[in-house]
Amino acid sequence: MTAAIVLKGVTKTFGRTKAVENLDLIIPRDALYGFIGPNGAGKTTSIRIIMSILFPDHGEVSILGFRSAMEAKDRIGYLPEERGLYRKMSVGSFLSYMAKLKGVKDPGLQKRVERALESVGLGGTARKRCEELSKGMMQKVQFLAATIHQPDLLILDEPFSGLDPVSSRMLRDLVQTEHRRGAAILFSTHVMPHAEELCDSVVMMHQGRKVLDERIDRIRRQYDPRRIHFDPLDPEADVSLLKALPEVEDLQRTEGGHELLLVEGTDPAQAMKRIVQTITPARLEISRPRLEDIFIKLVARGQETRESLDELRAGLIDNAAKGAAV
Amino acid sequence: MKRVVHVAVREFVVTVSNRAFVIGLLVMPALLAGIGMLIPRLFNFRDFKAEGQVRIIDPTGLIVPQLRTAMDGRQIAARRAEQTRRALANAPPMVRDMAGTPGDQAIQMAFGPVPDFRLEERQASADIQTEKDWLMEKGPGLPHVALIVVHPNAAIPKDGETGYGTYDLYIPANLDDRIDGEIQSSLREALINARGEAQSLNREKINALIQVPRVRSVTVTSGDERQTVRGFNIFLPVSVGALLFIGVMTGGQALLTSTVEEKSNRVIEVLLSAVSPMELMAGKLIGQMAVSLLVLSLYIAMGLTVLTSLSLFGLFNPWLILYILIFFVIMYLVFGSLMMAIGAAVNEMREAQGLMAPLILILIIPWILWMPISRNPDSLTSVALSFIPPINTFAMLLRMASAAPPPWWQVWLSILIGVGSVFAAIWFAAKVFRIGLLMYGKPPNLATLIRWARSA
Repeated sequence: MTAAIVLKGVTKTFGRTKAVENLDLIIPRDALYGFIGPNGAGKTTSIRIIMSILFPDHGEVSILGFRSAMEAKDRIGYLPEERGLYRKMSVGSFLSYMAKLKGVKDPGLQKRVERALESVGLGGTARKRCEELSKGMMQKVQFLAATIHQPDLLILDEPFSGLDPVSSRMLRDLVQTEHRRGAAILFSTHVMPHAEELCDSVVMMHQGRKVLDERIDRIRRQYDPRRIHFDPLDPEADVSLLKALPEVEDLQRTEGGHELLLVEGTDPAQAMKRIVQTITPARLEISRPRLEDIFIKLVARGQETRESLDELRAGLIDNAAKGAAV
Repeated sequence: MKRVVHVAVREFVVTVSNRAFVIGLLVMPALLAGIGMLIPRLFNFRDFKAEGQVRIIDPTGLIVPQLRTAMDGRQIAARRAEQTRRALANAPPMVRDMAGTPGDQAIQMAFGPVPDFRLEERQASADIQTEKDWLMEKGPGLPHVALIVVHPNAAIPKDGETGYGTYDLYIPANLDDRIDGEIQSSLREALINARGEAQSLNREKINALIQVPRVRSVTVTSGDERQTVRGFNIFLPVSVGALLFIGVMTGGQALLTSTVEEKSNRVIEVLLSAVSPMELMAGKLIGQMAVSLLVLSLYIAMGLTVLTSLSLFGLFNPWLILYILIFFVIMYLVFGSLMMAIGAAVNEMREAQGLMAPLILILIIPWILWMPISRNPDSLTSVALSFIPPINTFAMLLRMASAAPPPWWQVWLSILIGVGSVFAAIWFAAKVFRIGLLMYGKPPNLATLIRWARSA
């Protein structure tokens, strides 16, 4: 079976800015892929190249076995970051129009639209104008517009951007439903926890370059668990004693307790034994490596300055916080 | 191709089912109907009766008897009948047939009831100021409508002079023009008759002497000859030009608006995931062209109905309709694609105004040149303009609708140049459209658009 997306050496520049540089990417047919990185990393440009909305300066693109998405548009669903609706058009007409543009034949189209609306709890809204819908309802309609033709490949650009937690959960369920149906899914986000939660693989981008392309489980195995969550049983205990342990490199207070960063190469089991001996814990567990930490680590290899890394981390944390809050 | 059709169908359906479009389409005929039918009824033209008391100071003593006769109801009716006969003689045959031989009732319908003036003669020595004061008095009887002071030499020139005197006419404020007009035309009759009698001349003979009826000229062309209808040679080109202008502006404006709307609604990228920019552009152009053709067809049908009802259809070359459509398509594609490119380049309608200015200017140029081209369609300027895109379509149609149409090779050369300009405009617009659709932020200027077209 051919891959859903194959990019080879794709480069795109705008003036003097290299938006995407020599990007190689293979996304299999059954994948749920996350395209992650901070704002301006080149995610949207790459997606627009995949969609043939933009064309690369160099490199090759293959989508569902075709040389361009233009030839396979009927089999691709796309939810852009800047998404909209015809506000004066009825919901049913809008979805029918998008379905027709995607090659769905007229017979049975109306029933398909009604079924799709019912599946997301919007039954009976087909005759309503789009502008009469609430924001959450609009987002559902936008998602349906991208999936009404049951695409083989679904591309979502920052789908969780601006969503409240309820809508965010709803969208996550819809994405998973599409994946279960058999669609390959690529979605971009700068909110790393979303990718951790949903994807089986991720591509990390930074300044137009790919810095990581791996399955999530392999990433977790590959990157040493060096962080340990710790809560003392006695709230009055002097936690700073732990910092004196030779296995501990850093100690930080967090919202839920404390986080210990182990010295590189330390056996976590040995370190945990020493911690228990020093202060009795109420909770002690190895924290899984976070994608944002992995991202920072990878970017650091690229000889970034300490200040720029701190700024990048703050940006990612801020963004993540915003993403979770909205 | 199917996608282009879907986009075109949506554009057409959304536009023609819009309430504003339907209202806009009906406004022009409704305005014409309003002017032609409603306003005369509102102002009650037909039921107006001119009546009142008229005082006259006539030192000659010759005018009063003549004026009594001229103001007599039967005399006025006779004058009106003669006036109607002359008007119908110059009207198209269809109008004459429809009118038949107008009777008293028909004439009264056209002019209103016969006036009723009561003439009161005052002494020649009467004080004019007192008489003027009478004009402003309001009494229970007929209103005071005029004071006439005849000059002493109004009927017979002074010794040694050949020129006649006339009269002074005083009227109260807010007197209806039609009363003024009726009194003056009666006075004219009275003065001519009095002068004729003073010279012992017979009025019938004078009338016969001075009457030279206007004939309708015959326009001769190499193919045939036909009766000239005054004004038609001016009316037809300007109508054809207006049709073209309305068609292009209807479609172009809708293209601009819908593209800006799609961009500002952020629906454009959703569309681009389903269709290519060229398919989107082609679909929108075709859809709005169908809308414009619908508008044009309605106006052409209305125009032809009017021509047929006035029996003027014979003066109209039916081939002109075909050429109107060809030139419309050319002009529409040039301006429509450019307007759509502008729509793609800006973020909101306000930003489009600056870029639209040159296009509107080009559309207005032919209106400035309309009269010289219509009056002199074979002049060097007219011929040259009909080969300079994008105004060649307009200039050539004006020449074709004029009294001296250009040879066929010039028409087809102009069409060929027009087709070339369509390709150039679409090439430019497609490049700007492709880049502009995904550009947000500072609106571009003309130089930026040209740079986009070069770089795309």
